[in-house]
Amino acid sequence: MQRNQGCNPLDHQMARRQFLAGTASGALGLGVLNSSATAEKLQSQHRRILQVYLQGGVSQLESWDPKPGTEFGGPFRAIPTSVPGIHISELLPQTAKRMHLLSIVRSINLKTNDHTQGRLFMEKGRRAGEYPYIGSIASKYLAPKNSELPGYIHISTRGLPDATSAFLGAQHGQLKFEGVKPPSNLAAPKGLNQSADARRNQFRLQLNKQFGLGRSKSLTESFDASFQQAEKLMARKAFFEKAPAEQDLARYGKHDFGRNCLLARTLLENGATCVKVTHHGYDSHAENFNFHLEQLGECDTPFSMLLDDLHERGMLDSTLVMIYSEFGRTPKINVRYGRDHWGTAWSIALGGCGIQPGAVIGKTNEKGTAVADREVDAGHLFHTTLQALGIDPKSDHDIAGRSIPIGDPTAESIKELLA
Amino acid sequence: MTENQQDTTGAVVAPKPTDAVSAPKPSANYQTIDPAKTHAVAEFKHNFPLTSCRVSPTGRYVVAGAQDLDIHVWDLHTTEKRTLKGHTSWVRSFDFSADGSQLYSACWGGDIKFWNMADADPHPTTTIQAHTGSARWVRLSPEETRLATCGNDLLVKVWNVADGSLLQTFSGHEHHPYAVDFHPNGKHLVSQDLMGHIKIWSIESGKQEREIVASIMTGYDKKFAADMGGARDLQFSPDGKGFASAGISNVVNSFAGVQDPIIVLFDWKTGKETAQLKPEKTFQGIAWGVRYHPNGFLVGAGASRSGKGELWFHKPGEKEFFHTLKLSTAARGLDLLPDGQHLIVAHSDGAIRKYRMTAEAMEL
Repeated sequence: MQRNQGCNPLDHQMARRQFLAGTASGALGLGVLNSSATAEKLQSQHRRILQVYLQGGVSQLESWDPKPGTEFGGPFRAIPTSVPGIHISELLPQTAKRMHLLSIVRSINLKTNDHTQGRLFMEKGRRAGEYPYIGSIASKYLAPKNSELPGYIHISTRGLPDATSAFLGAQHGQLKFEGVKPPSNLAAPKGLNQSADARRNQFRLQLNKQFGLGRSKSLTESFDASFQQAEKLMARKAFFEKAPAEQDLARYGKHDFGRNCLLARTLLENGATCVKVTHHGYDSHAENFNFHLEQLGECDTPFSMLLDDLHERGMLDSTLVMIYSEFGRTPKINVRYGRDHWGTAWSIALGGCGIQPGAVIGKTNEKGTAVADREVDAGHLFHTTLQALGIDPKSDHDIAGRSIPIGDPTAESIKELLA
Repeated sequence: MTENQQDTTGAVVAPKPTDAVSAPKPSANYQTIDPAKTHAVAEFKHNFPLTSCRVSPTGRYVVAGAQDLDIHVWDLHTTEKRTLKGHTSWVRSFDFSADGSQLYSACWGGDIKFWNMADADPHPTTTIQAHTGSARWVRLSPEETRLATCGNDLLVKVWNVADGSLLQTFSGHEHHPYAVDFHPNGKHLVSQDLMGHIKIWSIESGKQEREIVASIMTGYDKKFAADMGGARDLQFSPDGKGFASAGISNVVNSFAGVQDPIIVLFDWKTGKETAQLKPEKTFQGIAWGVRYHPNGFLVGAGASRSGKGELWFHKPGEKEFFHTLKLSTAARGLDLLPDGQHLIVAHSDGAIRKYRMTAEAMEL
């Protein structure tokens, strides 16, 4: 397998060091983000991201942009929220009570209906090219140097690990947990005491050093990163060994997603920088309404509990929360009571760090078939998210002397969404 | 709309394809019920896909729910269409009083509404916020004094028809109950949930009496990490010795509609399955309707994942359907007319179609 050594043809097409743009909302835009003062300041603030990814494409009509009583509105009603004037689907009653902590973007047009293209666009803020996911960017620029946890953790019940770090290096790649199960081989082998383990590790580093002489650093750094991540996790294996408190399970739910959200809370409380929790089961080409009843019924409460806990712990000011998909679902209801892929006019919700709460950005037309106002795409969302976290999306990554724009230079932040 | 034709005895004959003046002449065996000869005789159109249907016990009205907020009523005597407004979400289940004068409807929003069909312009006479979340089913008790409903609050409830008051609440389902029906003896309720758990409730004691687990009627979609199942229709045999449940089986990829329709028959006394009825393997989808015909055979209806429909006919004791009628559009609801000769199907193309289970009339 060819390793990404931090250089690909597309990178060379990028303008070098095209920064010096003005910054907004306190984002640290010093052009190149690797400058030590900038990095230290960002890391000292330790802003975080909680990503709740509704895999498959949640229906905007059954969540953030209901259109009851219209041709494609479906069977569900809209309910008022804690923000006067904002209504969301009745399938999210708990979230509705916490709408004052969130904002909705209802005017996303990705111009793709493909799962992979939509997902990568939402994660990378670009339609194409080997760029890092926002979680890897958070790991690189927001995670404190002495962080006791890997910078980007993904809790999911299935799927293969993504290649998320691109040229940022393997240490900023996504570490995937299969639910609340501890990663395989987390514990040291039986009979290996701490001293022996330390000597073993020292020996490994020596071999690495010799192997790395005259070779690209990236050939060994991913192995190092794996060991470092394993070490961090071994030190915190109690996260997995300790059963959640019954009162927490009662609040979050005893199902997998409830337990995964509880683990996400624990990780964020203990210094994780980006935690992504995936809830599967929204690609409802058939039985869209029954599936959304089941899936959003399972998602609504633990997501709301997570919001509550972050809020009550005073963490929401420093934790950006986004609940999103790779696209929405067609307004048209197919013959199987399904809705199909729809990247043309759909919604996500964000809140917390740097985000103006209680806002609705953009709108769709009466039937939900097109964006009627303030069209944005994943590039705009990417810029906005980074800006909210204090990272200037118009500044550059400094990769071994090469400057690569962090955000798509053609996109802008959604300024009215920023706090 | 293509109107059906009736003579003075109420017999229904084939529809006029256009405004032709000549009337079809019945054939010799036109009155003999023969499911293998089932054919469409009339069509009533609405401009939204239909989701459910019910025929009044007098055979006069067909009511249908659609992908809108209204109840659509066709008078089979006059072919007149009326629209009943009042629900705030799709209507998914109906029942009638025996004389057809009272209609009861349940909607995804959780409301149950009563309608006086004798009114020229019916409005809800009673509205009950019956369930938190959808009210999936409504059935009138045999003696017509109580209504049974089930909903997404995981509850089965019994209501007083006279004043709409709550009489009983049955809790125990751990997943959404999809359908509920009274046993003809009026002493028991049966409800079936997403996971195929069929609970038999004693109305007298107010408790669960027993449970049947129809695990064949549910499945876990591993790819999408979600459960799929539930009764899409449920009906007791007229003698109360068994009941039939329509739904799905063999979940492969339910998010794309890849599963098999199934109708499962249960013995009331033993709780055992007496038949698992499936259409041909090429027809993947959902069984949306099942009815016991007074002559003893069973009728089922379903929709394929490609949007086609089928009607299935089954004789007691046999392991397979003895006849299948292919339909051009998905069948989403099924009911029988009291004459025994006709059935009604709610279709995904917005049509109520009336089918006659006899030989076709001979054209002059």
